[in-house]
Amino acid sequence: MISPASDHRPGLSGPVLLAHDLTYDYGRHRALSGLSFELARGEVLGLLGPNGAGKSTCLRLLTGYLTPTRGYATLAGFDVTQDGPAARRHLGYVPEDPLLYPHLTVDELLRLFARLKECPAPSLTDECDRVASRLALNEVRKRAAGKLSRGFRQRVAIALALLGAPELLILDEPTNGLDPWQVIELRELIQQLAAEHAIIVTSHVLSEIERVAHRALFLREGRLLGSYVIARDQPGELERQFLAMTRPSA
Amino acid sequence: MNAFAALYDKEVRGLFLQPIAWVLMAVFLLVVGYTFATSLALTKTASLSQVIFQASTVLLLLVPLISMRLLAEERRHGTLEMLLATPVREYQIVLAKFAASMTLIAAMLAPTLVYPVVLAWFGQPEWGPIYSGYLGLLLLAGFFNALGLALSALTSNQIVAATLTLGLSLLLWMIDSLAAVLAPPWDDLLLQASLLAHFTPFATGAMYLSDAGFFIGGTLLALFCAVRALARR
Repeated sequence: MISPASDHRPGLSGPVLLAHDLTYDYGRHRALSGLSFELARGEVLGLLGPNGAGKSTCLRLLTGYLTPTRGYATLAGFDVTQDGPAARRHLGYVPEDPLLYPHLTVDELLRLFARLKECPAPSLTDECDRVASRLALNEVRKRAAGKLSRGFRQRVAIALALLGAPELLILDEPTNGLDPWQVIELRELIQQLAAEHAIIVTSHVLSEIERVAHRALFLREGRLLGSYVIARDQPGELERQFLAMTRPSA
Repeated sequence: MNAFAALYDKEVRGLFLQPIAWVLMAVFLLVVGYTFATSLALTKTASLSQVIFQASTVLLLLVPLISMRLLAEERRHGTLEMLLATPVREYQIVLAKFAASMTLIAAMLAPTLVYPVVLAWFGQPEWGPIYSGYLGLLLLAGFFNALGLALSALTSNQIVAATLTLGLSLLLWMIDSLAAVLAPPWDDLLLQASLLAHFTPFATGAMYLSDAGFFIGGTLLALFCAVRALARR
């Protein structure tokens, strides 16, 4: 079941994301060491590991927020570090527990991020309408982001990430703090989005990753331990693999 | 340009919707208005130089409270990560924040334009020092603001950013006070670094390009540092 990190589902188009030897040092501490993998359109990748495994560092390197100490990542063919703005045109990012700008309404947030993502002016309103409808945000579009519930805030953050139809979506702990109904809704949404985007999702809830992801990467202490192609007909297998690979004595 | 305009809109809205902006404006106008009334009553001359000097001191104290939140708050709330995951560039973020906070500072200064009107109504003020005084105030505030923005880029703590900005601004404001006891060339060096020495000609109507160049150069250098600090993360 354990397979090389570059494995992905057969029959899918070429890689949207390519990470090669990604390494990052916080001072003397190596947070991520030589991570390499590919991600194809239509693929959902779960990034798993205990706290401090290097998941957030990995995501920050992929979004261009951090510059790798060594290695590189390309998104839609553009180097994330060298050609950051071009690469980020193909990126949608939802950080963990997004706070947004509390004084802006959902509508204002959508228009702000649509402009930042360089959506052309004539279709800007249509694009905002499209993602608002997709995320069922129409009833809260006039409401200030600071007055939204946790679930709606998460939906708004995903809507912002979807503006401009990016090829890669990165969702950092998207189910944190959501109630069971919201978790189910989010799971269904990720499954729908997977048809059009490559998606990286991190979560501590292994059963959620098992339901939405096609493949999982296991990280521990900044190192890639292996990759696991998720078998839908073997529920619970991901948890067994995770425990086997990331247990400190492993 | 579109990204700059979008960020500028957001920043202006954010600044003016915060109660602190209105409190700062009220405090500024109260202190400067008091100075205008008392200097007019005591000197009975149609001059604004006292007001311009007082306004510069109040700006020194208040601008750090405006600039402290500009980047530190984005960092603390995690919104900086979202912004930087879009195609926007660091310099666009810094320039938009600088322009928006300068808009607030200009809005603080704007109501004081009624003072020259009052002077012109009742007397014959010299317009040169008034024009140069307001230009000097904008240049000085721009320098304080850019310095605060650069320091705000280095920390997620607003109080730390404000304290550092205030301390450094105060030091540069009065650094020439030591010049009298130092031998050349150190005395000249301190005079050249002094904000007060470069600002005084503006307030008295004897404006020099070198003084304007000092403030513009210092502001650009601080903005460059802010962009670099943001890019290093």
